[in-house]
Amino acid sequence: MKFSLAGGLLIAILAFIGCKDNTDSGPTSTFTITFKALYDGQPLEKFKAYDYDTYKVQLTRFNTYMSNITLLGGTSGDVKISDIEWVNFTPDLAPDNFAVPVPIAIANVPDGDYTGIRLGYGVPPNLNAQQPKDFPAGHPLSNENEYWLGWKSYIFNKIEGQVDLNSNGQADGALIYHCGSDAVFREYTFNLPVKVEPGAGITVEFDLKTLFVLNGTWLDLNNAYNQITSNDVNDVVIANELMDNFGNATTVK
Amino acid sequence: MKGIAIAFPWRISTLMFFTGIALVWLSCKKDDPPEDGEQDLTHIPYAPQAYTIVKPAHFPQIQIPADNPMTVEGVQLGRRLFYDPILSADSTQSCSSCHLPQGSFTDNLAVSTGIDGIAGRRSAMSLQNVAYATNRLFWDGRSPTLEDQALLPVEDPIEMHNTWPNVIEKLKKHPDYPARFRKAFGINTTKGITRELAAKAIAQFERTLVSSGKSKFDRYLQGELDALDDEELDGKLLFFDEGQVVGLPDAQCFHCHGGLTLTGNQYFNNGLDSVGTLDEFVDKGLGEVTGNPFDNGKFRAPTLRNIALTAPYMHDGRFQTLEEVIEHYSSHGKPAPNRDPLIPTVGFPIPGTNPVKYSGLTTYQKQALLKFLHTLTDTDFVNNPDIQNPF
Ligand code: HEC
Ligand code: HEC
Repeated sequence: MKFSLAGGLLIAILAFIGCKDNTDSGPTSTFTITFKALYDGQPLEKFKAYDYDTYKVQLTRFNTYMSNITLLGGTSGDVKISDIEWVNFTPDLAPDNFAVPVPIAIANVPDGDYTGIRLGYGVPPNLNAQQPKDFPAGHPLSNENEYWLGWKSYIFNKIEGQVDLNSNGQADGALIYHCGSDAVFREYTFNLPVKVEPGAGITVEFDLKTLFVLNGTWLDLNNAYNQITSNDVNDVVIANELMDNFGNATTVK
Repeated sequence: MKGIAIAFPWRISTLMFFTGIALVWLSCKKDDPPEDGEQDLTHIPYAPQAYTIVKPAHFPQIQIPADNPMTVEGVQLGRRLFYDPILSADSTQSCSSCHLPQGSFTDNLAVSTGIDGIAGRRSAMSLQNVAYATNRLFWDGRSPTLEDQALLPVEDPIEMHNTWPNVIEKLKKHPDYPARFRKAFGINTTKGITRELAAKAIAQFERTLVSSGKSKFDRYLQGELDALDDEELDGKLLFFDEGQVVGLPDAQCFHCHGGLTLTGNQYFNNGLDSVGTLDEFVDKGLGEVTGNPFDNGKFRAPTLRNIALTAPYMHDGRFQTLEEVIEHYSSHGKPAPNRDPLIPTVGFPIPGTNPVKYSGLTTYQKQALLKFLHTLTDTDFVNNPDIQNPF
């Protein structure tokens, strides 16, 4: 009697440990989110002269932190599948000028049907209170390049390029958007059926042309103030405008 | 027992036959000098001790590759190899000939010269905090890791102009190195001494070349607020674009030389050469590695730690002084189709200009920036006894 009780307990403990890493005891799969950068519906190409309002822009750098990635409306509620990812579309050693698609594979996501996904744009305040030294080497937030000592904030995203205001083929202005600080963190929800099963995934596309059109009007680059996000931590006008518009610039498929 | 009498002649011939085979096999198998037999090293104890890199508390963690864990014995071996001219063909040059501690591991020459007196085309890079170089190595990013990089100078014809088989042969015959390789990597015979292990040991030593955390700037960051005087503080505000609140413009430096190691490890064209087309760059830098013309003339933004000790400056040592460097940035460098957009934005926007132009820096601002760069000097690092020549 005692023996079988102990045995039963042991089996129960083993079973419990066996599925402890999943919140649910059901099957799980690796779920892949592929991030893509576009301009006007086409894959973003560095140094290409794009139409922007009445002038031209060239884009040279685009990277962003994505956080609190949560699948919504599963059988046992919402499931957060990632705290933070760094998505770099323009690595230094790319084979050509096209922005690279960035697939992020997340293991152990509970299988099933979900009704949507929520994405955080930037570094959420709880993580933004920390610094690169607080994270193990290799962690997305250990990257010093993306930390702003002066602001005590991560740089949530970087979009850089140059602008040719008179379309003469010569750059005559910069376009440097580095958004950061808790005030500009945003989350957006996308409602669409998402199925998690072996081999499943979704695509998240950011279209920079849509990003630059705020409430139907282009962000005016003839105004020098709009070319560069301010470095004054209390002046986040441009960063706020861009972050407010990031949801519109996103398509989830 | 019973077969001895008849078996004897048979056994001799069999023995000779197999010995013959074994000899042929051994001589074929040995890649390096077959004349000398390999030395057995198993009598030397192999008990490596884990090595913990000492880094300032406010610095980020260091990534150690899983296949090259840091050990006391590995670092000691690497330090010797780094300082030992045994690596060069005529035993005149070591890594430290071009990477000297006093120059924060540069040679203070515009471009380095190898053993044959031939000048290279680029300036030796500082190795301070090279453990944090996580986006490839060299000015042009052509080497992925320290373990890979350490293989290259030995056979570079305008550096040590040697061959690895030659180096390995010398190391095997050396009175001291075989035991050190055994202690660091547990090899059983001298046959185990390879270029890969030599490179691993050198890489382990290089990862110990970390800032002391005692420069004025570090002391300031750690809360000693009077470590910087007012002018140095203005320089810091300029460098990190934090000066708007006190009426200082942006110098934009930190965008490319950011973080605690003051290098973003990324590749840019910082406007050194005026070119009309992307093919005109004399040294194509990153473009030589990627084959992408838009990468021509881009180089890795190096660390600015100990920058006052590493003159002359840039990949070709074109600027003798930091004053010249600051003048370069203040005047927005030279135009090129892929000049980084930040370069022409140093200073205040000039009112009434359209397209907008930027003012550059005033004499006072240039001087403040210069003084700030001097606060990065870390003599405790260059004088650290653990990283000096052990011979
Ligand atoms: C003849 C002078 C010379 C010698 C000898 C030499 N180096 Fe260098 N080193 C250079 C130069 C020049 C560069 C930059 C080359 C380039 O970018 O093309 C460099 C770059 C490096 C870098 C890259 C640093 C970075 O941040 O990317 C490392 C690491 C390095 N050397 C280590 C070594 C080691 C280890 C040895 C000995 C095995 C060595 N060097 C021998 C001149 C030398
Ligand atoms: C757009 C990126 C960028 C900006 C902004 C920038 N740098 Fe650089 N810096 C670089 C690159 C890239 C190099 C190496 C260029 C080369 O050698 O070809 C460099 C080299 C240097 C060097 C020489 C380092 C050495 O070891 O030879 C110094 C000093 C320096 N920069 C200081 C500054 C200062 C001060 C500022 C602000 C006024 C600044 N940089 C702004 C990218 C930048």
